[in-house]
Amino acid sequence: MNRDLSSKESDHAATLHLSGDISNTVGQQLVNDVTRIASRGNREVSIDLKELPQLDSRSCAWLIEAVRAGRRLGARVSLIGAHGQVADFIELMRANFEPPPVPTFYRDGFLGRLGGKAIEAWDEARVVGNLIIDALYWSFLGPVGGRGLRWKALLAEIQEMGVGAIGIVCLINFLLGLVIAMLSAVQLRMFNMQILVASGVVIGFARELAPIMTGIVVSARTGAAITAQLATMKVSEEIDALKGMGLNVAKFLIAPKFLSILVSLPILTIMGFISGVAGGFLLGMLSLGFTFDSWWAQTLQAVKLGDITQGFVKSFFFAMIIVIVGCHNGLRVSGGANEVGRATTRAVVMDIFLIIVADMLFATLFYFTT
Amino acid sequence: MEKRPIIEVRDLVAGYGREVVLRGISFDVYPGEILVVLGASGCGKSTLLKLLVGLLKPMSGSIRYWGKDIKKMDEDELDHLLHKIGLSFQDGALFNSMTVGENVALPMVEYGNMDRELIPILARMKLSLVGLTNSGYLMPEALSGGMKKRVGFARAIAIDPTIVFFDEPSAGLDPITAAGLDKIILDIRRLMELTMVVVTHELDSIRSVADRVIMLDWGEIIFDGTLAQIETADHPRVRQFFERIPDKTIL
Repeated sequence: MNRDLSSKESDHAATLHLSGDISNTVGQQLVNDVTRIASRGNREVSIDLKELPQLDSRSCAWLIEAVRAGRRLGARVSLIGAHGQVADFIELMRANFEPPPVPTFYRDGFLGRLGGKAIEAWDEARVVGNLIIDALYWSFLGPVGGRGLRWKALLAEIQEMGVGAIGIVCLINFLLGLVIAMLSAVQLRMFNMQILVASGVVIGFARELAPIMTGIVVSARTGAAITAQLATMKVSEEIDALKGMGLNVAKFLIAPKFLSILVSLPILTIMGFISGVAGGFLLGMLSLGFTFDSWWAQTLQAVKLGDITQGFVKSFFFAMIIVIVGCHNGLRVSGGANEVGRATTRAVVMDIFLIIVADMLFATLFYFTT
Repeated sequence: MEKRPIIEVRDLVAGYGREVVLRGISFDVYPGEILVVLGASGCGKSTLLKLLVGLLKPMSGSIRYWGKDIKKMDEDELDHLLHKIGLSFQDGALFNSMTVGENVALPMVEYGNMDRELIPILARMKLSLVGLTNSGYLMPEALSGGMKKRVGFARAIAIDPTIVFFDEPSAGLDPITAAGLDKIILDIRRLMELTMVVVTHELDSIRSVADRVIMLDWGEIIFDGTLAQIETADHPRVRQFFERIPDKTIL
């Protein structure tokens, strides 16, 4: 028995006396005592605070816990004898002695949720559609029709998205070229046809690898940056500020990005293509022992203008995917910092997925038309 | 008997980069008082708060807590000090990924010297102090600016600190809420024996809560005294502030 807590019990009522401070041990014991007394069927429990010198938050929290513990078991717990600071403190905290109400949330049934998802998807599709129209209008028709383009912003974006990405795009394509050449060299050695590595690398890079790899690198680099920037602007109400000033978000933010990536990505793809082929050259000359001339001749003979055009055309579509996905995910954010992170992740995943899907569509198209 | 100050600030010079914002200020904070730091926008009030909680390092001068210079404290001592300090930011600075209740409970959970079963009760108690008793389940994005500020306030007093710093507690609030917040400041002080440093420029708020006022102007203290003294002070900048006279503009 603690000297700061004593109890008197009769048939239907019990009184607990507190004196001295409510330490954690006393508090725990108070809760236990109230529980014990109430579970024996006592309907009236009083806690006498007459001798309590003062109350702090933690002591008060123990009192609250004790009162609620009693009430949960159907007993009426009352605090008596409080005076001075103790009474004031309890008065201030009165609302806390009631258990928190359980908030109610509206919940749809299965069909409702299904329908909700469908409507959400449709809404998102409409928003994306509008975004594409806006972006196209403010990038091409708007400037031509004399409605202006932010040239400075456009140049800054090209510097950032295009020039800044040259190093990483070239490096990755070069290394991939090297790897592909090694892989195919091992296979072709069996037929003593290693010169065909040159054809494989150049066709592979022209049609598939350069556009895909460049697209993925740029989506991870630039797509993520677009989303993060727009999302942060959205969260900090900068987008609302722009709209409130009557400025067009598409003209102000999206058009420069759209045009810049449309210019940058095809150029980067060509650079990536050259780098990949250079990787193949390096292996062919250093490891397989071919001369530059024979490898060059084989490369030129294998590749057709159509292959390069195919990769080049694809890169325009990839550019559009990256910028639209990036802008859309950035602008749909609401909430705070964690939403920005989630939007960026979503943007990059969508980018890569859509790039691969678009690539597959192109491959099917070219397969059946040639 | 003269009480020993909790905080002693001496010849404090500080700023950002090369720009000096505070040019050598000295003042004391005594236990149990509400000290209001006053001044026009951009005079260095918020900078002073950042210095007091160690978010910014002074260029020169010293800040002592209970006689100990924070520059000379090691990591542990500084942590220990910060556990005794509550800080309420201008716009709440709530963590958006947590509910309101979790925001308030965070310091209690992290400092780890609290009974687990008490934490939700204590968090709700602090929320009830700011009039948001049953809002614990909401996410911060569902709150208005004033509500966020009040939750930030609740979080600042979550661990029953000895000293609380309030950055602009009533700025941007409607008069009813602002008056309510002033009442809360007084209630908390009375019932929990807190020392508070309140940074503000709201005249009404100063009149209702301040025990002592210091006024900053261009990084210097131009007034240090009681509320009654500042109301009758004849320093021109103080008069200008209290009588709401705009700076002369050249047109």
